[in-house]
Amino acid sequence: MVSAGSVVHYLTHPTELRAIIQWKLYHLPVHERDEKAESENTKKCFYFLDLTSRSFAAVIKELHPELLVPVCIFYLILRGLDTIEDDMTIPLETKLPILKGFDKILEQPGWSFDGNHEREKDRQLLVEFDCVIQEYAKIKPAYQKIITDITKRMGDGMAYYCDNAEHNENGVNTVEEYEKYCHYVAGLVGEGCTRLFVEAGLALPALLERPELMESMGQFLQQTNIIRDIKEDYDDNRRFYPKQIWSQYVDEFEDLFKPENREKALNCSAEMILLALHKVDECLYYLAGIKEQSVFNFCAIPQTMAIATLNACFRNYALFQRNVKISKGEACEIMTQSTQNLKLVTEVFKKYTREIHKKSSPQDPHYLEISIACGKIEQFIEKLFPSQKAAKPANAKTSEQIEKERAVEKENTWELIYMGLAVLATIFVCSISMVGVAYLAGARFDLLWQELTSGTLFPKDAAETVVTKVITSTATVDAGHVEL
Amino acid sequence: MAPNNKTLGHVAIIGGCGFVGFNIVNLILERYPESKIAVLDVRTDVNRLDNSSVSYNQCDITDFSALKELFGKLKLDTVIHTAALIPMADSANSRKISYKVNVDGTKNLLAVSQETGVKAFVFTSSSSVVVGDVWEVINADESWPVLVGKDQPEYYSTTKAMAEIAVLEANRSSSSSLLTCALRPAGIFGDHDNTSLLRTLQIRGAKMCFQIGNGENLFDFTYVKNVAHAHLLAAEALLQTHTLGITPLDSERVDGEAFFITNGEPVYFWDFIRRIWILRGMPEDKTFDLSKVWVISITVGMFFATLSELIMGLLGRTANFNRLSIKASAMTRYFNIDKARMRLKYEPLFGLDEGVQRGVRQMVSQESTSEKKG
Repeated sequence: MVSAGSVVHYLTHPTELRAIIQWKLYHLPVHERDEKAESENTKKCFYFLDLTSRSFAAVIKELHPELLVPVCIFYLILRGLDTIEDDMTIPLETKLPILKGFDKILEQPGWSFDGNHEREKDRQLLVEFDCVIQEYAKIKPAYQKIITDITKRMGDGMAYYCDNAEHNENGVNTVEEYEKYCHYVAGLVGEGCTRLFVEAGLALPALLERPELMESMGQFLQQTNIIRDIKEDYDDNRRFYPKQIWSQYVDEFEDLFKPENREKALNCSAEMILLALHKVDECLYYLAGIKEQSVFNFCAIPQTMAIATLNACFRNYALFQRNVKISKGEACEIMTQSTQNLKLVTEVFKKYTREIHKKSSPQDPHYLEISIACGKIEQFIEKLFPSQKAAKPANAKTSEQIEKERAVEKENTWELIYMGLAVLATIFVCSISMVGVAYLAGARFDLLWQELTSGTLFPKDAAETVVTKVITSTATVDAGHVEL
Repeated sequence: MAPNNKTLGHVAIIGGCGFVGFNIVNLILERYPESKIAVLDVRTDVNRLDNSSVSYNQCDITDFSALKELFGKLKLDTVIHTAALIPMADSANSRKISYKVNVDGTKNLLAVSQETGVKAFVFTSSSSVVVGDVWEVINADESWPVLVGKDQPEYYSTTKAMAEIAVLEANRSSSSSLLTCALRPAGIFGDHDNTSLLRTLQIRGAKMCFQIGNGENLFDFTYVKNVAHAHLLAAEALLQTHTLGITPLDSERVDGEAFFITNGEPVYFWDFIRRIWILRGMPEDKTFDLSKVWVISITVGMFFATLSELIMGLLGRTANFNRLSIKASAMTRYFNIDKARMRLKYEPLFGLDEGVQRGVRQMVSQESTSEKKG
């Protein structure tokens, strides 16, 4: 259903409308799922993928056939884990063993769970979780190993946070704790995906040697979600902004939402966004290591969406009032640009980085740091794709050459002076000879001299005479009659 | 940083009472307490320390024989050459003097260093040696050609370029074992800033909140203590190469090389300016309002700058508001410091924002003391 509001929006933003149409008409998936060849169980898994994921389903379904099912299953397993962690109605003594032992559950055919609250939106996935386990058993052991490892570590991490009363009471304290939390819920996903890509031969193995790159991929997405969801999380009585940051601006977390603290809240969210911006260069570097188009799209789309989301949240007070979203037209434009090559992706990043910079407030205590973070992103993009052609090979001059040039220059200057003198001399000689000839021919220079000195040519009182004449003539006219 | 037991031997700081030189002297005292320092400067009454490890020698580097005598007496291991004449206005006479000090002076220093067995020679060049008559210098690295003469719009930069070339040529020259390198800092600012980048920047137009160009031009600034740090790293690297006595691999070489030195944090020029305005405190009746910034396009700016140059020229004065200052504030100009990072192991000690805060604080306290005095 198209609302009146969106009709107005797209009528006034025709480029966005065009982007939507373009995406719908011209986007060709790199790979397409072959539904006919799939078993009933596989189809059921994809049904759950659509049900539980809003943003990831589309990109997963276009993945390379080699990774299509493994990544889908990986996603559903983590979604299952998340659904258990999120549900506050499950008692701890039930919850903790499930979280910690979720990797073992994958080896238990037929396992399912109906202990979630009725209103938990992804409840049904766990109720029918046996279909995921059944599909998991069919994928290659190498992929299984990766998925199990990540599931185990993430489950342990989640259990740690659930069991931590301090965390449940006050949320995250330090920035370090915040990034550690993001590591468990997102950094690990980055690692799992990267290992799957490399195992399938679709990404450079070098990515595994720089673990901070895949970590940043996850961190950037998770931090963006946390920044964007502040109001929603607050309404659900959860907080992920680290106290170390918000306490610089307000005494109590809830004060961020009071209208009188508007500027403080904006500065606080700006600092959170600054933290996320520090990850961007590593994300772009990571993307340079992807070899296959569908994997590139899978990785790039969430990243470009995230930078656009950060831009939408930056210095936008709506962040503290409701859920801030990018428009569908903008999203389609970003997707079109994120499904081609790294160059275009960096241009999306550059565009939003500059928009963030433009909105930055000089009164913000982190004003210059935000500027530096944006500059760093621009410089990194320049390193990947230099906009100025490499300079000509330095054709270095030696001191000797320079000295020579200077000597030549000096010579040139003197030459100029000599030429000038020569010209003057010529003119002088010519004039003298012409005067001489004239004299010989009988010209009376003595008379000329006399006239000149006596003031015939430049009469001394000439000026005065003229003025008097004018005045007299005016007076004459005024008088109305002619004297003479 | 903790003092280490390495030493730079007997080290001379040419221009040690100047902005960069003074900061180098302080950092050597802090980091190499074993070193003996000789400050050489034309005037040694400013930025003078009362410290037994530092000797002050008034001398003119254009006076070859005096220099030779002094070097023979001092028996130096390391020379750090930071002295330069920055002419206030461009005239035939100022050109002559700056050539004499910046080029001939440097050549004198090189010659006496070679003659008296100096091991390491570090020269403070300038990032402007690669900046030609252009509006964009994006992420430039050391492969960019050094510009002199017609290609180089600023005469000061021409002299720095010529001096740099002479310094690098003197490296491993047949007659001596002297090792040399050149550092090219960009936009130096900070404490004891008598070239006063901060002051110049803060005075101009804090009242007007203007901006020239679209504000997207990135610019490199460098906090002076980071520049000092880079000099010590370079000196140490040269001395080490000298001791080892073997020529390093090309990819690790420091001697005979030039390095860009910045804070590694290119920022939008006008953001840097606004940060200074805000830290310095806006004029009483003003608050900075982003929506009320007076944006002047480059074309309009250049037009009025030309006009101002003409009018001031007719009045026989130098225009502060000129085309060069428009360009300096609206051009993109930043550098890639990977070479310094890899070969000198250079990493800025102070972040840009910290540097600005320190610099502004120092400037304000200096102003208040001079006000009291006055």
